[in-house]
Amino acid sequence: MTVVEITSESHFNELTTSLPATTPITLSFHTSWAAPCAQMNAVFNYLSTQYTDIAFLSVDAEAHPEVSETFDVSAVPFFVFIKSGKVVRELSGADPKELSAAIQELSGQKPAGEPAPTVENGTDKDATAEEDLNARLAKLVNAAPVMLFMKGTPAAPQCGFSRQLVGILRENQVRFGFFDILKDDAVRNGLKTFSDWPTFPQLYVNGELQGGLDIVKEILVDDPNYFKNL
Amino acid sequence: MSTEASTAPEVPPDSGHSETPYEDKIRWALTQSLKPTYLKIYNDSHKHAHHTAMRDSVSKETHFRLEIVSEAFEGKRLPMRHRLIYQMFSKEMNAEGGIHAMQLLTLTPKEWEDRQAKSNVE
Repeated sequence: MTVVEITSESHFNELTTSLPATTPITLSFHTSWAAPCAQMNAVFNYLSTQYTDIAFLSVDAEAHPEVSETFDVSAVPFFVFIKSGKVVRELSGADPKELSAAIQELSGQKPAGEPAPTVENGTDKDATAEEDLNARLAKLVNAAPVMLFMKGTPAAPQCGFSRQLVGILRENQVRFGFFDILKDDAVRNGLKTFSDWPTFPQLYVNGELQGGLDIVKEILVDDPNYFKNL
Repeated sequence: MSTEASTAPEVPPDSGHSETPYEDKIRWALTQSLKPTYLKIYNDSHKHAHHTAMRDSVSKETHFRLEIVSEAFEGKRLPMRHRLIYQMFSKEMNAEGGIHAMQLLTLTPKEWEDRQAKSNVE
């Protein structure tokens, strides 16, 4: 199942009343300008392909204040989990692991990628976990046209190189999504293998690794309008 | 001449006790594999010593900045050039208390010349 974007309060009401009562629903509240939302949107999308028994609905919190108010949304990203017409859980913030766990709890099924439990073949399970991770990473690097994997957040960088790269992006008025790799070991380690790149920060443009701070500085020396031309 | 070495060639046994084993290794490996026409190694570790991530570090060789000019970079885009270097030192970069970061400037001799010329004109 794919994520359905809510277009109005009536659309929301229609959808939720038309779904069978047994279908769990998860709502994602986001805004278009908050970078953590871009990151979590990608994770939300990915999870929707893994858990096909849940209805995944997405709401632009600012565009639909009435829906946001119904669920008392004061900050984004925000997730609501509904079972049998009742809110069973709410999640605030941008933690992919937490979201993943909450979705798994809501669902009755195992994630689509997992094979039926077998006694032998630990390697099979590992291979599938790796496929899952790579699929997740592929989605993450494409979460925004310009995607920064950094230590910390743009508001609170935890590394001088990450801070400098954020500074450069802001100076060049680049709209970018970001991912705090300090919050997710799987992504932190997985991305090093996925991109054959040992360090962070890592900047991706249209899903392709450009490099780290030193490369971005070099690119701008040769082509100061690099970001404007994207 | 091996320009495609992916692991650093073995360093000769050191006769003395070096205070900068990583720097020595870097200089040796790069010189052997890339035959650079220009090589400068800056140890920027002191600039990061107070950072949270470095709190438990006892090494004085955690952050390096390298400037390398070599024919070996011809025909390779920046990410490929950097990967070449990173692969050479993957052991050191993965080691506990090893090299934490390497900032790289990788230019071909022609690019280096152009850059010198540009800065002389300005």
